[in-house]
Amino acid sequence: MILQVMVAMAATVAFAVLFHVPKSEYFLCGINGAIGWGVYLFCTGHGTGKAAASMWAALTLTLIARIFSALRKMPSTVFLITGIFTLVPGAGIYYTSYYLIANELSQCVAKGIETFKIAGAIVLGMIFGLMLPQSWFNQLRKIKRESEEEK
Amino acid sequence: MPCDTCPAEVRKNAKEDVPASKTILNLAVSVGEILLQSGGEIYRVQETVSRILEAYGIQDYHVFVVTNGIFATVDEQQDDAGSMVRYVPIGEVNLEKVAKINQLSREICEKNCGAAEAYERLEQCKNAPGAENPALIFACGIGSAGFCYLLGGRPYDSMVSFFLGMMLEIFLLAAAKHHASRFIMNIVGSALVTMGSLALYGAGAGILSDKIIIGGIIPLVPGVALTTGIRDLFSGDYLSGSIRLIDALLTGMCIAIGVGAAIKLFQLSGGVMLR
Repeated sequence: MILQVMVAMAATVAFAVLFHVPKSEYFLCGINGAIGWGVYLFCTGHGTGKAAASMWAALTLTLIARIFSALRKMPSTVFLITGIFTLVPGAGIYYTSYYLIANELSQCVAKGIETFKIAGAIVLGMIFGLMLPQSWFNQLRKIKRESEEEK
Repeated sequence: MPCDTCPAEVRKNAKEDVPASKTILNLAVSVGEILLQSGGEIYRVQETVSRILEAYGIQDYHVFVVTNGIFATVDEQQDDAGSMVRYVPIGEVNLEKVAKINQLSREICEKNCGAAEAYERLEQCKNAPGAENPALIFACGIGSAGFCYLLGGRPYDSMVSFFLGMMLEIFLLAAAKHHASRFIMNIVGSALVTMGSLALYGAGAGILSDKIIIGGIIPLVPGVALTTGIRDLFSGDYLSGSIRLIDALLTGMCIAIGVGAAIKLFQLSGGVMLR
């Protein structure tokens, strides 16, 4: 599991490079992706389906992206776009088209619906994460500034 | 907030030697253009343009942003009325530009930045180099390999995925240089990855071809369109949000078509798929 999370981190950093994220934020992007994948693994390991696990992971990712964005004065998109790549249903797309070609239509429909369910779950998770008011996250920035001034 | 009560006087008080409203409008819209092109959300573009206009003392303005266009007017009721329409094609995602523009607009709003200086900084943002091609190719390989492993591949499969991912990015960069359509890029790109993996599998390399293909197509998967589309919908920009989500859906279908075509080709040439 630890190895999985570390690989997720490396993969997220790779996507950060692909989307030209400022170099100073590579590490935090990686952390966000790793946490997202960790939550996903934890949920699937405790009996939730793939869709529910994606929702919880997307929710966590969104909240962490907003926290990082408040602390680093960066747009939250920077952390969110790179982090969400660990969840998008690439495998679903592959298996859907594979079963279509293999003419196993019931499997194809099942996979297709699962893919849409996962995408919908990511949407829900992100929306829940975005619902919290921005002022809460701005509080974080204030707390950080105060603690820096004390030093 | 736009308001139509005599802003000219307010502006005179705000700052001496204020640039003409056209100059300010051009600056604000150009900033918005780069932001929109590089993957900023609609509300961010709208807010940035509005705030820049306000920072330079314009109070009577209207800004309307959709996924591929910006429309703005200032001082409609007065002599120096100006309006601007920009067509903004969806460009390459560049989060560094988004971050830099964000910083620039923050400084403009804190009134730390005159119009001339802002223009200069804008040019710098426009020409921000971003990551070099070799770095992009390597990153794409690492990303593919990583996801191949995460989704159930063995380290051996990841290695194959690494090379296929690099091949994919080389293709994508070359295609982007020749302004290929995004549909074609997605279909051919995913077909390329699938064929590469199946060819190795058919040659008896003993690989899990499906995991490698999944890892390889991840860089094409519409994660950005999905994320931005949801954020647009969430902030009430239904039009732009739907455009992005349709984009995400079509991209996903294109990938499926490319993968499917390549598998069919493999089967027709007598290959037997791994189950």
